[in-house]
Amino acid sequence: MSVTPQKVLQTIKSPTPRYLCPLDANKYGVEFLKFVVADNDSKTVVYESPSLEGLSLADLPPVENEDQLRSVKYTFPRNFLKFNTVRTALEFKIGPQPLNDFRMIELHYFKNKLVRTYDFSFGFCIPNSVNTWEAIYDLPEYKDDQILEYVKNPYGHKSDSFYFVGQELIMHNKAEYQYV
Amino acid sequence: MGLLTIIKKVKRKEREMRILMVGLDNAGKTTIVKRLNGEDITTVSPTLGFNIKTLNFRGYKLNIWDVGGQKTLRPYWRNYFEKTDGLIWVVDSADLARLEDCKQELHAILQEERLFGATLLVLANKQDLPSALKLDELGQVLQLSSITKRHCHIESCSAVNGEGVLKGFEWLVKDISSRIYMFDH
Repeated sequence: MSVTPQKVLQTIKSPTPRYLCPLDANKYGVEFLKFVVADNDSKTVVYESPSLEGLSLADLPPVENEDQLRSVKYTFPRNFLKFNTVRTALEFKIGPQPLNDFRMIELHYFKNKLVRTYDFSFGFCIPNSVNTWEAIYDLPEYKDDQILEYVKNPYGHKSDSFYFVGQELIMHNKAEYQYV
Repeated sequence: MGLLTIIKKVKRKEREMRILMVGLDNAGKTTIVKRLNGEDITTVSPTLGFNIKTLNFRGYKLNIWDVGGQKTLRPYWRNYFEKTDGLIWVVDSADLARLEDCKQELHAILQEERLFGATLLVLANKQDLPSALKLDELGQVLQLSSITKRHCHIESCSAVNGEGVLKGFEWLVKDISSRIYMFDH
């Protein structure tokens, strides 16, 4: 049974127990180069991924389980939840083949319940291109007790990110967040 | 106020606009978008693909597609025409040697059927440079007066000092909204 965008949007309501595609499903050579999260009002950067450019595989620490390669844990300052607008910037590289209909669907959960869905279509990607997607969006207004809930439940906030080329799932990443 | 307008509005997500930004390389497209969002503009490098920026502007959600302008990338522009509400053509007003090239690329893109419905904003960038051509001269060289079948406007701007950038986007968004969101008012 194949995993399609429709299926993700309609049926997934809590973190998936496993990855829904193998690592080698990414036969298009899509590579994430950089990810930045910032407060768009003060422009303060709260997270910046380490640059992987120029690193060879030998430089990376050994991993016991290849799934570690596609899960990440974030620690954000708790005042993140009080930001008015957030800017996220993702930089990615495309392999030698053009991509048609590239799309990301990201599901966010808190305490195993779906709370937010992001669905963005990049459309066509130029072969061998380096691209960025920056989203500047308003955060929902969290009440103080809600913020406390997030702080009191480290990694209670989780997400699944699915990347599709057309109907084909090519990447699935997971993330967990804590606010300190 | 035909049926088509109603269908058009119902079909799209709430108050979203798709804006395509193109022009020759080094015209300042990426810097203009950064300036629009008040970001640092000192670290801009040539775009080797696209930069998409999703942001709220005057009550609308803009998806701005800034696609690289290098010669090898231009054949790919047509992949981004679909569903475009607004087209921004960015010109380096001081790059006199390539103005003819610029004119030809602009008029070629305007022939594209999928862009017939798009509002056109020409941003005459780099007006802070002393050698920059002024608006009326630039309009003549680019033969803007021959563009009669669409809403078109030229605005002088400088991504470096910020002048004209907001004004240009305000015109564009207002024009698009009056075309496709006419029931909102």
